[in-house]
Amino acid sequence: MSTDTDTDTDTGTGSGTGTATDDTGTRTRTGAPRRRRRGAERRPRFAIAVTALFFALLYLPVGVVVLFSFNSQKSLTVLDGVSLRWYEALLHDEVLLDSLGMSLRVSLVAMAGSLVLGVALALGLVRSRSRLGSFAGLIMLVPLITPEIVTGVAAMLLFKGLGITLSTTTVMLAEITFSISYVTVILRSRIAALNPEVEEAAMDLGATRGQALRLVTLPALLPSILASAVLIFALVFDDFVLAYFTTGVDPQPLSVRIYSAIRFGVQPTINAVGTLMLVGSIGLIVLALAIPRLFGRKGGLDLLSGK
Amino acid sequence: MATRSNRTGTALGPPQDPAAPKTPAPDRKRPEGTPGTTARTRQPRLWTWLLLPGTLWMTGFLVASLLLVATLALGTTDPLGNPRFGLNFANLTALADPAYSTVLLRSLGYALITCLISLAVAYPVAYAIALRGGRFKNLLIAAIVVPFFANYLVRMYGWSVVLSDDGPLLRALRAIGLADGDTKILQTGVGVVAGLVYGFVVFMIIPLYAAMERMDTSLIEAGRDLYGGPLRTFLFVTVPATRQGAAAGCVLVFLPAMGDFVSAQLMGGPDQIMIGNLIQDKFFQGQNWPLGSALTMLLMAVLFLGMLGYLRRTRKDEAEAAR
Repeated sequence: MSTDTDTDTDTGTGSGTGTATDDTGTRTRTGAPRRRRRGAERRPRFAIAVTALFFALLYLPVGVVVLFSFNSQKSLTVLDGVSLRWYEALLHDEVLLDSLGMSLRVSLVAMAGSLVLGVALALGLVRSRSRLGSFAGLIMLVPLITPEIVTGVAAMLLFKGLGITLSTTTVMLAEITFSISYVTVILRSRIAALNPEVEEAAMDLGATRGQALRLVTLPALLPSILASAVLIFALVFDDFVLAYFTTGVDPQPLSVRIYSAIRFGVQPTINAVGTLMLVGSIGLIVLALAIPRLFGRKGGLDLLSGK
Repeated sequence: MATRSNRTGTALGPPQDPAAPKTPAPDRKRPEGTPGTTARTRQPRLWTWLLLPGTLWMTGFLVASLLLVATLALGTTDPLGNPRFGLNFANLTALADPAYSTVLLRSLGYALITCLISLAVAYPVAYAIALRGGRFKNLLIAAIVVPFFANYLVRMYGWSVVLSDDGPLLRALRAIGLADGDTKILQTGVGVVAGLVYGFVVFMIIPLYAAMERMDTSLIEAGRDLYGGPLRTFLFVTVPATRQGAAAGCVLVFLPAMGDFVSAQLMGGPDQIMIGNLIQDKFFQGQNWPLGSALTMLLMAVLFLGMLGYLRRTRKDEAEAAR
């Protein structure tokens, strides 16, 4: 986009094309087809207006939750003074605290499990030429193109079919299955970008295959692995649908607990829980995006590239 | 975001031989026996062994469980309501019942409208950020993505508060005379679609933004040089150049919108239920797992057809774009 900076930043005086003007129209170059040019080169006011409105509506619901979590009244329409009473109520809500603990345990286990399986799978997918690889590459895509309700129903039926009582463990197993795909997708491009000849050099210097993997390849992948670990933790902690179908009765994951609470009327403690969850997951995402930079590398998670 | 620049950003240094042309991407097409045998040719079995645990896990949990759903869709329930495997098509014929086909059609309609509204929102947003974002581009995109990672239920709950009868949106609309005291958003289909759009519009913006970033902006200038107005340039230059991103976005929005049951529950009334709500009901309240499985397979079938159409359309585009 560097060719475009003049018109992008509104500071340029239209050098180059000789036709640039800004939205105020004060810096028009004289040129024959002026009126048409002016119309065409104007800043896209409509697009910018829609974008502004979009941002307002994107943050309004989040803002409402945060704002009303500090409300001293139970109302969701009238702000009536600042108080921390809902946060305090949270501290005494044993059921919610149990759910929080369970969600944290599930996220940690799912993170560890899916990392171990996912890193190995990603390495194998990139480097193995066996037919197993193409099969694995296919089934790895299944969770990404299947709506969660389908995987949720399927996991629930599998556990019930095997006679396994739904519990914290079943949520963990289901979340691991779901997360492997994410780890693999994130790491696959990073592994493909590695230069295998460095590993080879290590082996020429006497390292075994395993040593080369452990001492050369994995350290090179460490930022991506850490970033995907944080990401998986956040995704699993926030996941609702899969947890909803695979959880037992007690304790239930936090998002399932929130679901049953908001179905039955307003409960201001939900605003407080919601605010804490917002802060937590946004913090984790920012961390996941920042990790590769902390290691002094560009690139990192391609969350924003659309693939 | 540097879409394609990963390779240069890795830790493991530049290609060794500066004289040689850039080292080819280490992919599996690399011929064997090239000078400097690649790492993988020394002990290729290790890589295959690494594939095994993940593949077994995914096969055991995912593939097996999906097959189980497909099988149970042909099953029955015994008089006590327990699911029984079998081979009958009662569940499948039951899907033709208007009670179910109406819901399916409604879900399809809501998901399609959600796609269209998301497109209408995402085009200007992606355009404004990709082409006019300047150095704030990445920051703006991050500002869109980050709240999306916040808990889905909390976001939906906040949205339902915003849309409620006394909520800020309706109050503002009333103040400027666009709504009267009886206007409702919650408990209507509008509310459900609003929920779906809010939930999934990010999936439309990101691929569209990526497509706009990749787009050759001189095309737009060319369109203007040829005296195309902003609208014509947009319709005949920008839209065709980014249609792959739009198609990907439609798939990414349609899939979760079609299977969602939270939006219909929080924003709609009993008259607005979608197929996800039916499935949920059959597994939790109704306790008719075979029928629930059949509904799940129906949902899968619809989405599979959608995917097939998408793949068929994009294959041609990709073949053109490849070389």
